[in-house]
Amino acid sequence: MELFEAIKTRRSIRRYKTDPVDDKKIEAILEAGRWAPSWANTQCWRFVVVRDAKVRAKLVDTLMKIKLPDREIPNPAAAAMNTVPVIIVVCAKIGIAGAGHGSPGSKAQYVTDKGDWFMFDTALAVQNMVLAAHAQGLGTVIIGAFEATQVGKILSVPEGYRVVALFPVGMPDQEGKAPPRKELSEIAFKDKFGK
Amino acid sequence: MDIFEAIKNRRSIRHYKSDPIDDKVIQTVLEAAHWAPSWGNAQCWRFIVVRDKKIKSEVADTLFKVTVDNEKVENAAAGSMKQAPVLIVVCAETGKAGCNEEGVPVTNKGGYWFMFDIALAVQNLLLAAYAVGLGTVIVGGFDADKVAQILNMPKEYTVVTMTPLGVPDSKGQVSPRKKLSEVMYYEKFK
Ligand SMILES: Cc1cc2nc3c(=O)[nH]c(=O)nc-3n(C[C@H](O)[C@H](O)[C@H](O)COP(=O)(O)O)c2cc1C
Ligand SMILES: Cc1cc2nc3c(=O)[nH]c(=O)nc-3n(C[C@H](O)[C@H](O)[C@H](O)COP(=O)(O)O)c2cc1C
Repeated sequence: MELFEAIKTRRSIRRYKTDPVDDKKIEAILEAGRWAPSWANTQCWRFVVVRDAKVRAKLVDTLMKIKLPDREIPNPAAAAMNTVPVIIVVCAKIGIAGAGHGSPGSKAQYVTDKGDWFMFDTALAVQNMVLAAHAQGLGTVIIGAFEATQVGKILSVPEGYRVVALFPVGMPDQEGKAPPRKELSEIAFKDKFGK
Repeated sequence: MDIFEAIKNRRSIRHYKSDPIDDKVIQTVLEAAHWAPSWGNAQCWRFIVVRDKKIKSEVADTLFKVTVDNEKVENAAAGSMKQAPVLIVVCAETGKAGCNEEGVPVTNKGGYWFMFDIALAVQNLLLAAYAVGLGTVIVGGFDADKVAQILNMPKEYTVVTMTPLGVPDSKGQVSPRKKLSEVMYYEKFK
């Protein structure tokens, strides 16, 4: 698929068919993630591919409810997580992104006011992955609101790593509608902020 | 350009020609960035397109030196920020990504989801630039407060990253990647 088409037509998908997704396509998605740039090429990302229905169900249980003024509702992506064949969980090694070239084993010395850049570098890889899925006819929806510590336990994520985000991968059972974007003039300025 | 080709062959570019870049092209690249997904569709990203030479060099001067073998050296991208005709500075509105309506963080990542959402947009930007024949290199090691002052940024925003944008003057070298088997696992983290 052509790049600009992929970027513009990718949508968050919240309804999926149960059709299986073969390993080749998943591998192409991960391969795309692997080629993302990263802080000093530190590649802090780690990907866990979950197909096991029992593990998937446990992951669904970690999603946070959304609080409305009068009640709580499930995450809009919760139902999808039970029906998709694959969930990819994105983890990060801590202490390398955003850190200076310290001697190995020493405590990480972060260079900027942002501390550890693991959120940034994993997202570069995630964007490549959601595009690569879409280009192969597969849908995704990035999920951030879940109990990361619990997911870490379910997947035996060792110390020194954090669970960042997860996304289901499957055949879309809906046409995603594009939520409106702000006007370019609201987010892009010339030479100084707000101009 | 085919998307997989763009993803695999994009490289960080650290030498640029001074050839000017059309506003239309910049708009195409920023639109691609803007189509990124974001937490609750909050679109916390803001882009400042800097062409003014004086501002560009003031911003370039905020780059931290890098320590290599106990020696302080220039950031490898420092020169490129002055060579390229355009510098794109990416800022984030804080208190939106990863937060509820009252601005309270809901996950154990605190307010740091702006880093995630900004990077989703930045990756689109890099790919789009590459597809139209332009080079980029993400720069992270600089004094964000100083850049905020130079660019008159309000305090609800933070400067996250920047990249020069220009016609490449040399090809980027491939930085080797870990093998897929080193970064992926099935069912559990092993
Ligand atoms: C968060 C981040 C910060 C970076 N900061 C710098 C930098 O300050 N100077 C620089 O020359 N390159 C910087 N880079 C570029 C990386 O070194 C580069 O992406 C990595 O070595 C992989 O090479 P590639 O982009 O050519 O695939 C940065 C990349 C990222 C993702
Ligand atoms: C960090 C992040 C977290 C998200 N979390 C959720 C989520 O928990 N549930 C959900 O249904 N969508 C979630 N989304 C999807 C966004 O709502 C979606 O990207 C946005 O509305 C724009 O729509 P689009 O992706 O179709 O362009 C998340 C997106 C991002 C980037």
